[in-house]
Formats: sequence, structure tokens, C-alpha cells
Amino acid sequence: MLTHVKNRIESIINNINQLPSIPEVASHVLNMVNNPDIDFKQVAAEISKDQALTTNLLKLCNSAYFSKGKEISSLDRAIVTLGIKEVKDAVLVIATRTVLDKVVMGYDLTKGMLWQHGVAVAMMAKKIAMLTGEKARADIAFTGGLIHDVGKTVLALFVQNVFKDIMNAVENQSLSFHSAEKEIMGFDHQEIGEKVLEKWKFPEILKDIVRFHHQPFESSETNRKMVSIVHIANSVCLMAGIGIGSDGLFHELSTEAIALTGLADVQLESLYSEIPELLNQTKDIV
Amino acid sequence: MKALINVGVAQIGFANQPSVLRTILGSCVGICIYDRMKKMGGMAHVLLPNKIGDGKDEKYADTAIPILINHLLKDGCKKEFMSAKIAGGASMFKFKSNISLGEIGSRNVQVAREILQKHGIPLMEEDVGGSIGRVLDFFMEDGRMKVKAAGEEKLFYKV
Ligand SMILES: [Fe+2]
Ligand SMILES: [Fe+2]
Repeated sequence: MLTHVKNRIESIINNINQLPSIPEVASHVLNMVNNPDIDFKQVAAEISKDQALTTNLLKLCNSAYFSKGKEISSLDRAIVTLGIKEVKDAVLVIATRTVLDKVVMGYDLTKGMLWQHGVAVAMMAKKIAMLTGEKARADIAFTGGLIHDVGKTVLALFVQNVFKDIMNAVENQSLSFHSAEKEIMGFDHQEIGEKVLEKWKFPEILKDIVRFHHQPFESSETNRKMVSIVHIANSVCLMAGIGIGSDGLFHELSTEAIALTGLADVQLESLYSEIPELLNQTKDIV
Repeated sequence: MKALINVGVAQIGFANQPSVLRTILGSCVGICIYDRMKKMGGMAHVLLPNKIGDGKDEKYADTAIPILINHLLKDGCKKEFMSAKIAGGASMFKFKSNISLGEIGSRNVQVAREILQKHGIPLMEEDVGGSIGRVLDFFMEDGRMKVKAAGEEKLFYKV
């Protein structure tokens, strides 16, 4: 382990100002929607506090992916027509864009690649949730998929400096890339992502998705299925080359995660083969 | 004019000298065919080996490669001057052999080789397998293929 690298990463995660930010309204909306006694009027009032976000939100709600053909002219209409969970997902898409839509050095992702990856994994995870009896939590799969790799944006420059060491650990010790990150830098992008979500005051289930998306069976049992869904969505998108970087496919595809979702081989293969159609849908958003 | 043309998943791209065709690959395979006399070529980015059902032809090695060859022939290329290179076909680093999704990379490579052979296009060089993601550049000035993977670059010149 390179202690000086570890120390520098530690100082970043201990200084909340150095971690990426999103508009506060987005965190509030996310937590309001998570609450069973949610009041739609309050959510609309909260969103409208942020004028720029509201404008972009209405635009996004009228995109083909969210609107499903219906004309949306106001926040209230959006909530009534699309549902509060869809609107929450759209808010998160807008709120996280500046954090994710950038060059990610070290992982060799050019501008837009991590963003497209997040959006594709979000859509894929939502699709898998619908297929596996998790319709009620499909929005969580979407949000989790969107932000699962946020930690990469913080680790980027460190990974760039120690990439050779990480790759050597992958090759010589047969470690998955995230394990090699931890071996060399003391942290992996999942742990850093969890820290970012702590700052954003996101709920436990999303923190678990980010923290364990490469090792779903280490998450708490309650959240394991949702983590597995994002794990599979991420694997399928990477295999199709969506957001693949210097870490390549040096990740594990968990048999247990597949078994837990109950997805059959043919279903997995057809999710993979429908990637071009899914990418067309992301064009509305990215 | 020299252009960089991105070829997306399940797309086929064509170009003339001095342009460059680019694609990014995981388990998919990029098939590059070059006519050394006309200095033009095409690249197919396929997801899966064989077409089943009614998917788009460009997704599958066995249907995309003939489209690629026929398009080049229509543009005046000659089979005797054509040759191929392929790259991609990676697999997840760790998976149990009972997951068929894990085998897609190597099946893609296998079928791409077979289809090229069936159509009499010699396969000159390949950079396949492993768990790396590849950025593939195919240069129309001389048909060379550049593969950037895990921070390193490799060049393949045979045409
Ligand atoms: Fe990741
Ligand atoms: Fe990812």
C-alpha cells in the first residue's frame, strides 16, 4: 500500500468541501419521496425553490424517456402524470449531471463517458427491477445505477498516478480492479462513493448500492437484491463497452447476484442484446 | 478531409483515406476490413455471434460481416485486395462457467473468424480476449489498426 496516497485520499474524504456537491433541493426531494407520508404539494414547493432545476426538470419530463408522449406544462402536472418517483428520478438526473458529465482521468473516460454509463446503467437497472418483481422499487434501481460510480470522479487523479501499480496487483495477485484500488490506495471507488452519498444525505439503500456494486453479497440482506440488480446492470453495460475505461472488465460477475434476482440466461442475454435500443433512449437524456 | 468517425454499438461504419474509424469495445468484437488498393474500408461493431429471432442485422457477427463486405464490393472494392483484422471479445474477469453471458466475448471472436473465412477474407491480425476494454482506431491511409487498452497502445500493420 502507498501510504502517502492513502493519506491524501483520507484528507479529501475528511474535508467535506472537497467532495462533489449537488443542489440541496435534490437531496431534500429524494428524502421526501422516501417518506411514506409524503405530501406531493410539499415536494412541488421544494423543487420550485430552485428555479434553474425546475426549468431543466420540465424540459426533461417532456423528453421521450420520461414523458411517454404526454405533454407536461407544470411541476404539478409532472407529479400527477408521471408519478412522484419518476419526477424524483428526473430531479436526480439533472442534479448529478455536472458531477458525472466530465473527463475522468486515470480511468481513461473522456467527457461524457461516465455520464452515459450512469444513465445507461440507471435505465438497465430499472428494466431489471421491473422484470424481477421490484416494480415498486424500480426508481431506487434507477437512482442507484445513475450514481454508482460517483467515487471514480474523486479518485481519478490518484488512479492516474498509480495506475501501473493497480494493474500489476490485478495481474499478479489476480485481484478485481476495485480490490486492487484498495490494495494500492487504501480505498476503492465504492467506499469513496459512499462518502459522497453521506455528504449528500442519501438514504441507506443508495449508499449500499454504491458501496457494494462490485460485491453485492457483502451488502446488508435487506438491500442485497437492489444492489444485485445494479451489479448486473453495470456488468451488462460494461460488457457492451458502455463507459468501459482503463479498468476494463476486471470485475467480478456474481453468480449469486444473478440467482438472487432470478434472471435466466436467456433474459440476461436479451438485456445485453437490447443495449443499442437502450442507448437510443439515453440520447434523450445525455 | 481527415475525419474521425465513431462507430457505435451494433453499427457499421465506412471511410476513405485519410479518415479514421473508431469504436470502444468490451465483449463486443470490432471487425475491420480494408481494401489496400482503393485505400478504403469499413468497421462493424457486433454484440453477439449469431442472429436469432428478428434483431437488427448489425448486432450479430454472422449477419453484419456480409453487410460490411457487400457494401465495400458495391463501392468498387475487390475481394482479392481485401483483408481483415479484429479486436475485442473480452470477458468479465471473474465469473462462474455456468453463466453463458460470460462466454459471449470468446463466442463473438470464434464466429467472426469463421464468417470471415467463409467469405474468403484473410484475417491478418487480431487483438482479442482477456478482460481489457479496448479503444480501436482503424486508419484508412494504410489500413493499420491501433488498440488502446489499459493505458497502453498496440499497432497492427498487416494488410
Ligand atoms: Fe464501479
Ligand atoms: Fe460502473
